[in-house]
Amino acid sequence: MEPFEFTPERLAQFHELLTHYPEEHARAAMLPTLHLAQEQNGYISQAVQTYVAGLLGVSEAQVLDVVTFYPMFFDAPVGKHIVRVCKTLPCDLCGCGEIIEHLKERLEVDFDETTEDGNITLLSSECLAACDQAPVIMINDDLHGRLTPERVDELMDALE
Amino acid sequence: MGKPKERRILYENIDTPDMHTLDVYRQHGGYASLEKLFDMDAEQLLNEVRDSGLRGRGGAGVSAGFKWNLMGKGEPKYLIANADESEPGTFSNRYILQHKPHMLIEGMIIAAWSLGIHKAYVYIRGEFTLGKKRLDAAIQEAYAAGILGESVAGHDFALDIYTHAGAGAYICGEETGLIESLEGKRGQPRVKPPFFPAAIGVFMQPTMVHNVETLSNLPYIISNGTEWYQSLGAVYKDTPRGVDPMNTGTKLYCVSGHVEKPGVYEVEMGLTVRELVELAGGVRGGNEVKAVIPGGSSAPVLTPYELDVPVDFTCLQMAKTMLGSGGIIVMDETTCTVRALENLMDFYAHESCGQCTPCRVGTPWTRDIVARIEAGKGRPGDVDHLIEVANNVANIDTFTWNTICVFGIAVSWPAVSFARKFRPEFEAHIEQGKCVILPVSEAVAPPEENYAWPQELPELERKPTWDY
Ligand SMILES: Cc1cc2nc3c(=O)[nH]c(=O)nc-3n(C[C@H](O)[C@H](O)[C@H](O)COP(=O)(O)O)c2cc1C
Ligand code: SF4
Ligand code: FES
Repeated sequence: MEPFEFTPERLAQFHELLTHYPEEHARAAMLPTLHLAQEQNGYISQAVQTYVAGLLGVSEAQVLDVVTFYPMFFDAPVGKHIVRVCKTLPCDLCGCGEIIEHLKERLEVDFDETTEDGNITLLSSECLAACDQAPVIMINDDLHGRLTPERVDELMDALE
Repeated sequence: MGKPKERRILYENIDTPDMHTLDVYRQHGGYASLEKLFDMDAEQLLNEVRDSGLRGRGGAGVSAGFKWNLMGKGEPKYLIANADESEPGTFSNRYILQHKPHMLIEGMIIAAWSLGIHKAYVYIRGEFTLGKKRLDAAIQEAYAAGILGESVAGHDFALDIYTHAGAGAYICGEETGLIESLEGKRGQPRVKPPFFPAAIGVFMQPTMVHNVETLSNLPYIISNGTEWYQSLGAVYKDTPRGVDPMNTGTKLYCVSGHVEKPGVYEVEMGLTVRELVELAGGVRGGNEVKAVIPGGSSAPVLTPYELDVPVDFTCLQMAKTMLGSGGIIVMDETTCTVRALENLMDFYAHESCGQCTPCRVGTPWTRDIVARIEAGKGRPGDVDHLIEVANNVANIDTFTWNTICVFGIAVSWPAVSFARKFRPEFEAHIEQGKCVILPVSEAVAPPEENYAWPQELPELERKPTWDY
């Protein structure tokens, strides 16, 4: 098992985070701490769970419980880039079907799969609260709207 | 009579470059309310907010003053801004966070001072990366300028605001699910009673939860006064009260789907569905409207017969639907209503937190029936079956639910309303064993037949401010 601990900068960030919550409720820092850990490690491995449980003084089961509940936490390795495609009604009305098909074909993956070179993980997403720009995708932290297959190709080219 | 027009208050200057910075926000009158705020005490403020008629913009439409009045007395108390914005079709909070985050901070200061709160959180959906970055920066600026911290704007009042990112679960928008999530657990809603947040909220302390838009109204109410705020909103011909006190203010309507110019439109409450669609450039390509969801995906759908319903709390309730989050999803004649419902049911089946059986089992079950109808494998009787299953999660006719939270209602409302109102299209799928898109006139069940169409709506008085 690959061991895990925060870099000194992230550890400092973690200690700052703790000050946001009442002392006896360190567990409240769970989501932000997991976000930090995922930022560093790419996904929430078993070692990360053990480490975070230790930091927050909770059981590993309590960490696992959270990791499995929230779609944004990955419990297995993912690609270098995360592409999320919105598929909820307003995007569907505006043609996200075509975008999804195009992405799957181009990347040769289905949803929840990673390209063979480990570069891109394709995920579906529920409404990203940007329906005025439908159809939309998120690439890592950035939102892109009013997509066409051509625009998708440009965006994917930039990731390769 | 001219065309309806926007009335920007919250969204005023939202497109101004660098509006997310303190300097530019201040240049446009930002934080002016703080000059009046600290001369007013808690009781005065509670009265102001109650009298303004402000109702929650997060979905349930509870009067803000009413909720403030219920706030528990225990210490410490907490304030939470609900920035989870996940209701499909809703996107107005996103632009406040990205372009006018100081307005939210100003609103939170007002709520905190009024309720004696010194610690506040903004629960922001995990995907709002830019919004969180902008809000974090704005909070830093506010601390540096002495607007937050030990002494807010030089007054003997301390307030800290922290942002807290979610991680992609819709149910964390429900206030008690949000609170569980904020405490570092799965976002599973709590049983109400006893867990009304105002009484027992985060860390088991009294907690005020408000939507971002609700809080963003406060600076304008305090700066311009209650009377001014009361003058905004729906006016009915048959009320002696002028502006209807239940529907005051502007609303950020999010118009999406098959319109020419999708976007956020801020107008005084009371425009009709038809007028709002017009405001958003009309239906794309001059097509015919087939269906409109008026208040986010959970709100019962409206048919072309119902487009003259004013989009406010009262009238939508009379039309057996709701203003909800103000997300207006427009579907034109090319839409298959069965497919549209299948899409929504997929969403709900995916987002059920799984805590109660009727919802955990009933939601995917409902989805499966719709999916099979759409796939041409529907059986005779499936439409009634669908309605029955959905109504067993939560009954939309008696407005009772067999679930812990009203997610149950959010499932059965769209399910039953689509199935009843577009029954001919659903039946055609079953009869022909394939997806068939009927012309609008044939797809819709006539209102008298089987759904509670509002026979009498209050007639609206035209206000000069509504017209060009
Ligand atoms: C399933 C579900 C999802 C919800 N999602 C949101 C949301 O994303 N944002 C929000 O402000 N309120 C949401 N609400 C409503 C909240 O529970 C709560 O009523 C609201 O935040 C209170 O704020 P207000 O008084 O300002 O409306 C949701 C409710 C339910 C039942
Ligand atoms: S109704 Fe659904 S979402 Fe709400 S608590 Fe029950 S299972 Fe969870
Ligand atoms: S449905 Fe795709 S952003 Fe809302």
